Amino acid sequence: MGIVKIRDLIYEYIRRDEEGNVEGITTAVDDVNLDIEQGSFIAVLGHNGSGKSTLAKHLNAILYPTEGTVWVDGKDTQKEEYVWDIRQTAGMVFQNPDNQIIGQIVEEDVGFGPENMGVPTQEIWERVEESLKAVGMYQFRKHSPNKLSGGQKQRVSIAGVIAMHPKCIILDEPTAMLDPRGRKEVIRAVRALNDVERITVILITHYMEEVIYADRVYVMDKGKITLQGTPKEVFSEVDRLKELRLDVPQVTLLAYELRKNGLPIPKGILTSKELIEALDQCINELN
Amino acid sequence: MLRDITLGQYYQADSVIHRLDPRVKLGTTILFIISLFVFDDFWGYVVAAIFLAFVVQLSKVPFRFMVKGMKSIVFLLSITVLFNLFLTPGEPIVNIWKLTITKEGLRLAVLLAVRLGFLIMGSSVMTLTTTPNQLTDGLEKMLKPLGKIKVPVHEIAMMMSIALRFIPILMEETDKIMKAQLARCADFESGNLIKKAKSLVPLLVPLFISAFRRANDLAMAMEARCYRGGEHRTKMKPLHYEKRDYIAYVIVVCYLVTAFAAARLIPGL
Repeated sequence: MGIVKIRDLIYEYIRRDEEGNVEGITTAVDDVNLDIEQGSFIAVLGHNGSGKSTLAKHLNAILYPTEGTVWVDGKDTQKEEYVWDIRQTAGMVFQNPDNQIIGQIVEEDVGFGPENMGVPTQEIWERVEESLKAVGMYQFRKHSPNKLSGGQKQRVSIAGVIAMHPKCIILDEPTAMLDPRGRKEVIRAVRALNDVERITVILITHYMEEVIYADRVYVMDKGKITLQGTPKEVFSEVDRLKELRLDVPQVTLLAYELRKNGLPIPKGILTSKELIEALDQCINELN
Repeated sequence: MLRDITLGQYYQADSVIHRLDPRVKLGTTILFIISLFVFDDFWGYVVAAIFLAFVVQLSKVPFRFMVKGMKSIVFLLSITVLFNLFLTPGEPIVNIWKLTITKEGLRLAVLLAVRLGFLIMGSSVMTLTTTPNQLTDGLEKMLKPLGKIKVPVHEIAMMMSIALRFIPILMEETDKIMKAQLARCADFESGNLIKKAKSLVPLLVPLFISAFRRANDLAMAMEARCYRGGEHRTKMKPLHYEKRDYIAYVIVVCYLVTAFAAARLIPGL
């Protein structure tokens, strides 16, 4: 069994008017099935309101399914006795770094999770050190989070989650509020965790560039998973992605347009390197 | 303007004062404040000033930084001083129009200014050298006996530390909202007091909304990191008294004794 298993998940938000009467029901997640293997890098794409954040919150037992079941590491998230185990197994990083940093000093914040878990003092320090090193923020351990850049703050948040020794990290649009440089920093840190520590990564995002390294990509629309596969497979479907109002990486788009105009370029080009190779091949064939 | 408030901000440095147990610093601050209100004599304040200067020097916090924090209370301070200066009955020195400055008034005004100034400085030394987490840890440990009578000590301490953590963030936010409103021709400056108060509404409403949103996010983030109150919780930085803490207590007692002796024995002004 994989680290995460979702069966027939439905989640409904009940909208209420000012008196508390039910105004209507919005189905945020609609009949989703998902299996995620331990150690893989998963990306969930979708524009605003596609239900991707709602889905993410189910993996950390913050939200409970209206219908269906979610298992994290074999544990049903609806069973109350597992809640803390699940939150420890599947750590969560949120969008706004300011609203998830609790400590006034970087190292105190990273220690917050292990403190809550009842880890002995000596081990907390070891965990804080190793997780700050893993995200490359060790030299900032004594700094105030207010003085860090967005990318650095988000890396501290990630360290705070790693210090709990999770098997899986869920990142809910961790780069949405960052500048391009901060985005790169965060994605690099996340990839390193996946490569080196073999932590399962579930990255929720709407930036296409971030998902090209994923093992598997799921595209969500109106609460349903509408597209899935390797990044190559997903990005071959340029028309479909455009329909879903998602931006395709520039290189992929260029390759797509060239192909449409008759050049023999394979589908699903993700990096400029791949495109150059494909073009080289074209030239060789033409000669 | 809002950035100048240093109260509740931590100044990163490596000094003896920074390393002291927060309980020592809390206790000392309380004792220092009480001592300021107990003596009303020149020599007592001289000793207090020396003590304060000594602590500030040790803390390695630039003096400039502390004075900056005082700016925010200048208004309050001047009102208090002026009232005392003009409204205290006694032996008149100067007469300006209908206002009279008396000898007693002058003495009281100076005393009050010094008292308030020292008070703010003394407490900002504590907040500048202690992280809110340490501070609340200290409070939590000091107040632990109250837990026996069902006072939620841990929860109170956690609330305080979060409040302190969000002060600078909300300040920044206020600044941002203010600028955004100013850019759309909001006027916070002109008009009488009532008009000014009314003009704050478009500032406060978005601030409150954002504060609630932040609170919601933070609560979620804390729960996601397994926060479930004070039970089963271990400490990353547990508090132990060390040699330097005992030395600090001795120094504080010395200060108190000297100050009282000075106030009592040396004839005042």
